[in-house]
Amino acid sequence: MTTNSRDRIRAKLLEGNTLIRILLSHPMHTGRGKNEQEELIPAEFIQDIRCWRNQEEVLTVKCGTATSRNPYFAFQLKGGEIGDTISLRWVDNLGGKGTTETKVV
Amino acid sequence: MKDNLDEYRRKLLKQSISASTLALVAASGLMAPRILLAHWPQDAFNAETLEDAILTFLGEAEEVNEEAIQFTIGSPPTYAVNGASVPVEISSSLENIQRVALLVEKNPFPLAMALEPTSVVSFPFKTMLKVAEDSEIIAMVRADGKLYRTSRYVEIDIGGCA
Repeated sequence: MTTNSRDRIRAKLLEGNTLIRILLSHPMHTGRGKNEQEELIPAEFIQDIRCWRNQEEVLTVKCGTATSRNPYFAFQLKGGEIGDTISLRWVDNLGGKGTTETKVV
Repeated sequence: MKDNLDEYRRKLLKQSISASTLALVAASGLMAPRILLAHWPQDAFNAETLEDAILTFLGEAEEVNEEAIQFTIGSPPTYAVNGASVPVEISSSLENIQRVALLVEKNPFPLAMALEPTSVVSFPFKTMLKVAEDSEIIAMVRADGKLYRTSRYVEIDIGGCA
């Protein structure tokens, strides 16, 4: 339930657009997997990811259990300048949260 | 006889207490995230058939099977060795994209991911999905009141939905 600092985000200016790559650190248990003792691991997965550029909300991603472990996303934003702040917040189904941010380079 | 009754009463009492605490735990543990995440489309993600998931999340619209969205899956494409992380890439020339849904037909819950981009987001969008078995993967885009649909078949060596 603590803020996780292992999440990574990179933003880069590429031909006038901002290329953003995100790698979150999360086990993404579906609730169907089992541990070594053959016990079901309870579901724990990111449900909602929001992304901002400066103060403007640019993208919402809603995930089901079928998102891979340590979710990866890459996308572009139109325009942008070096020094823009790209920030991100995620929430999982148990109420765990994480935030991370970076500056466009 | 009296002792017997007493014991019975005690047992009943115990049971009712544990039942009520269980109910409390359930209410606090399960309801809280649901309230917090009222905007998470629970029905769509819990839908067990493709049609239900699409209908719940994207609503009804005229469906067009178009080349306006390009879609690649797997590395190399159409064949993914490990179902636990199947790379997916969507690109599109469409403007005014309101919603994008990624669905895996054979997964227990077909809706895998849903995007709500604003107008400043430009594609391609890349991510990774879990795919349980060989399956059709479908990308649906809602733009300007129309629903665009495209799909790819992917072969999986190791199922990835554990």
